[in-house]
Amino acid sequence: MTAKAKAPGGWQQYCALLGKDIRMELRTREMLVSMGVYAILVLTIYGAALSQTASSFDILSVAAGLMWALILFTSLLGLNRSFSHETENSSLEGILLTPVSRPLVFAAKATSNLIFLLAVEVIAVPLFFIFFMGQAELGSTTPLMILPIILGSIGIAGIGTFLSTLTLNTRGRDVLLAILMVPVVFPLLYACVSATSVALLGIEGQIEIFWRSLLLAGGYDVIMLAASWGLYEFVLGS
Amino acid sequence: MSNALEHSYNLAQTRQKWTTIAVIALILGLVLTTFDVIWAFFRAPIVASDVVIDPPAVLEGGTVITNQLLFSQKIFYFHVPVAIVSFVLIIAAAVYAVLHLMHHSAETDLRSKTCMEVGLVFIIGTMISGDLWTRHDWGVWWVWEPRLTTYFILTLLVIAYFVLRTAIDEPERKARFSAVFAIIAAIDAPISFGITRLIPSSIHPVLERGDSGMSPDMLIPFVCGIFGMLLVAFGIFRLRLLLQEQKLEVESLKARLEELDRQ
Repeated sequence: MTAKAKAPGGWQQYCALLGKDIRMELRTREMLVSMGVYAILVLTIYGAALSQTASSFDILSVAAGLMWALILFTSLLGLNRSFSHETENSSLEGILLTPVSRPLVFAAKATSNLIFLLAVEVIAVPLFFIFFMGQAELGSTTPLMILPIILGSIGIAGIGTFLSTLTLNTRGRDVLLAILMVPVVFPLLYACVSATSVALLGIEGQIEIFWRSLLLAGGYDVIMLAASWGLYEFVLGS
Repeated sequence: MSNALEHSYNLAQTRQKWTTIAVIALILGLVLTTFDVIWAFFRAPIVASDVVIDPPAVLEGGTVITNQLLFSQKIFYFHVPVAIVSFVLIIAAAVYAVLHLMHHSAETDLRSKTCMEVGLVFIIGTMISGDLWTRHDWGVWWVWEPRLTTYFILTLLVIAYFVLRTAIDEPERKARFSAVFAIIAAIDAPISFGITRLIPSSIHPVLERGDSGMSPDMLIPFVCGIFGMLLVAFGIFRLRLLLQEQKLEVESLKARLEELDRQ
């Protein structure tokens, strides 16, 4: 009788996969740099787009929308890159050869994408405030906008990881990811813009809309992450 | 050999049968739809807001209440059945997609795809008829209103489904991936269907079910419209399916012939 080595548990497998992604990113910094630079470029474009507005223009009414457009475009770029290492050296096949359950691969990849997205947001969102919101009268509830940012990032990273696996070996995958992702993620975007907008404006008595939008975003996250978790096996299969 | 012959004979018989059924469904559906349109124009009462203030029952039935004589409301008898059938088709596509993921048969994939194709036709019909109505009654071509927005997303998702299909070469993977995406896309269909009830502030009218205030003169063409469009959709679906099956068969026969040539 040969002694069986104890198989690592699900949590350990998850940590190993996540650690691998983070280590690789810290060494190459490929995703973070490209996403960060891209975010700054989008901000520059906003600078040109808003350059002709009158001084009375109320940036607060469109700020939430602009910020979420920035986050979505940046995340699309990052998500397209997130699997590029895996296909370049066929290391995805390596991962698939190990007895790791498919949903765990999804969870690890989605978490690493979420971490990178949040890291870029930590730089991009304050920059957005510095560049465009200098003279705006922010509402007292502004700090609450961190909640829709977190919920939105979870949803974008989750469904984005799922869809970028779907488009992994397709023709013109960069465009395809955007085509699939924008309509799927739209309800989340809508809810997050609404919640962020309410937080920024801070109008008395509207906080209820904030929580309702947050509930919508949370519900979307739960449904889409559950669907991704359940369907990932078919996407990553043979 | 005789076994194979018998098999192909049976297949031809089944096909013949389904073609007949599809053509009958198509003709019956077209008759019902025509009946719906004629009735809507000549029999159904024109909903006029200034006349019907007193008995509020007449107000329902998906009509917008403004001050004009709502002749444009007649588009309701076309728009709503088409929209309902488009939802049915998208859900059917998702059901076939689930079946495909369970059994991995090429047939379910073909059916899922055909449902999507017919669904896209009906979605475009809904979009055009809805847009004409919007322009006339709300005065704008488009508003970002919950029902319109979610339906627009549904349109984009169905288009994205076909873009995804063309982007993958390998047949087995194409079938599997598009089944997965069909399920994701279909999540939007019930949301879009129910959103006017979930968000009552929506300006899109809500069509109540059951013993709503639709008078028989309105209900008859409406129900005829729904059944007619369903039959039309079924007929198109079946004929399209048949066409694609035959196309696949021709291709496989060609491949076999080439193989025989080489031997």
